[in-house]
Amino acid sequence: MSREPLLEVTNLVKTFGGFRALDGVTFTLHKGEIMGLVGPNGSGKTTCINVISGLYKPDSGNLRFLGKTIAGQAPHKMARLGINRTFQVPKPFRELTVAENILVVHATNKHTEIGDPLEFVGLKNVAHRKAGSLTSGQQKLLDLARALASGPSLLLIDELAAGLSPSELDDVAEKLLTLATRGISLLVVEHLLGFVNQLTQRVIVMNAGKEIFEGDLASAAKDERVVEVYLGR
Amino acid sequence: MLFTLISGILIGIFYGLMGLGLNFIFGVMKIVNLAHGDFVMLGAFGVYLAYSVWNLNPLIALGIELVIFLAIGIPLYYGFVPRLLKSRDPEMLSLILFFGLSQVIESLASFAFGTNPDTVNPTVFGSQPVNIFGQSIQMSWIVAVLISLLAMAFMYGYLYHTKIGIATRAIMGHRTEAMSSGINVHRVSAIAFAIGIALAITAGSMTPFVLGGIYPSMGVDLTTTSFAVIVIGSLGNPLGTILGGLIYGICLMLMQTYLPSWSSLVPYLLLILILLFRPSGLLGRRERNA
Repeated sequence: MSREPLLEVTNLVKTFGGFRALDGVTFTLHKGEIMGLVGPNGSGKTTCINVISGLYKPDSGNLRFLGKTIAGQAPHKMARLGINRTFQVPKPFRELTVAENILVVHATNKHTEIGDPLEFVGLKNVAHRKAGSLTSGQQKLLDLARALASGPSLLLIDELAAGLSPSELDDVAEKLLTLATRGISLLVVEHLLGFVNQLTQRVIVMNAGKEIFEGDLASAAKDERVVEVYLGR
Repeated sequence: MLFTLISGILIGIFYGLMGLGLNFIFGVMKIVNLAHGDFVMLGAFGVYLAYSVWNLNPLIALGIELVIFLAIGIPLYYGFVPRLLKSRDPEMLSLILFFGLSQVIESLASFAFGTNPDTVNPTVFGSQPVNIFGQSIQMSWIVAVLISLLAMAFMYGYLYHTKIGIATRAIMGHRTEAMSSGINVHRVSAIAFAIGIALAITAGSMTPFVLGGIYPSMGVDLTTTSFAVIVIGSLGNPLGTILGGLIYGICLMLMQTYLPSWSSLVPYLLLILILLFRPSGLLGRRERNA
């Protein structure tokens, strides 16, 4: 892992009407690093990913990727810069085949190379099938393959582990670790702390749109604010 | 009866083409182009103008029209649609905006061509009728059907065998996910919008030969008919449009044969029936994502 910053998030604010979903979030992700973004429901984790991936424009704050300001750019431009994502609830293009799902996002300017994304996630044998006919676990893997197809240098993972069996979890964790060794940085939004623990020790804990803890997972478990947020007083 | 059925199928294929552009635009952008019928009308007057002024073959006129309207469609998309899609209720706003555009086109066409019906010589493609299962069908209808089938084949090839077409189908499935996957949604949609307009123009170029007289205010009726066709098949499903066109064409010809004075009610009756008994259309899923 390099100490060179890949993504610098500074004072990111996003509101929906009167609700402040992100309230001054600040962190830095380095090249080849895996970082966990954890917190209770509604803490702003997915909103954070939505802003970084360009789905939402931030109200204020700054996003720098490889030293360049990128806040507010359209999602397809983010993808070309090297930022891609998976979704909490995967929505594959159901009427397209698995292979076509990959074909439509295959980028010409790849930042990283992992070979055939379908081969990597283990869906090569169902490439000809309609994506809508896959199981929910396979759809999650397809979502990951689709994100990898553009050759990202930063992958935003939104609750990929939810709904997977323990053996599938181990398999997915192994795949994500492989991606990191190939130079892809990962920002992993996750509820399952055990899964995060398999990937990284560095986590940010969020609550009510704010970052309340940054450090290693073991220390987070002992932090008063984190315990209060998860367990109550 | 046999003639009614054959002519119903033939005219149904033409109506399938007429609905295709409207359905394609709805499927990709989830907006309703209420000016669709007016673009069909412009296509008809383009052929009329080219034939009556320059004695140009309607097929050559169609080629020229396609180039012009494909070029118009792209800036029209960027001028209107991205703003519409940012609104809270793009579907409703699109109805209002494109109704306004429809009125503008109709008014300008009335200034240019007057309000009286105009016709194009129906024997321009040949005066000899074609024999189908013992029934005589005029040549201009056959040309209109062939053009319709060609346009449908083009759409199939575009959507299933080109990368941009597959991306278009991806956008039809999940616009947001398509954006996040790196697809340039506006570029793909702009091309789809231009193709939708071009399909309307193509249908329009054959309108003088299938429907007879053309006039600037015909756009509203043609939009209603196109809407009936796509609702019968399924909103957003191009294959459904072809089925809707066939059902509409056969029903229309049956009514014109057996209850001619009631035939103009066909689109409205079919719309009411389908909305009452299968609102998602014959090929639609039970719920519509719009």
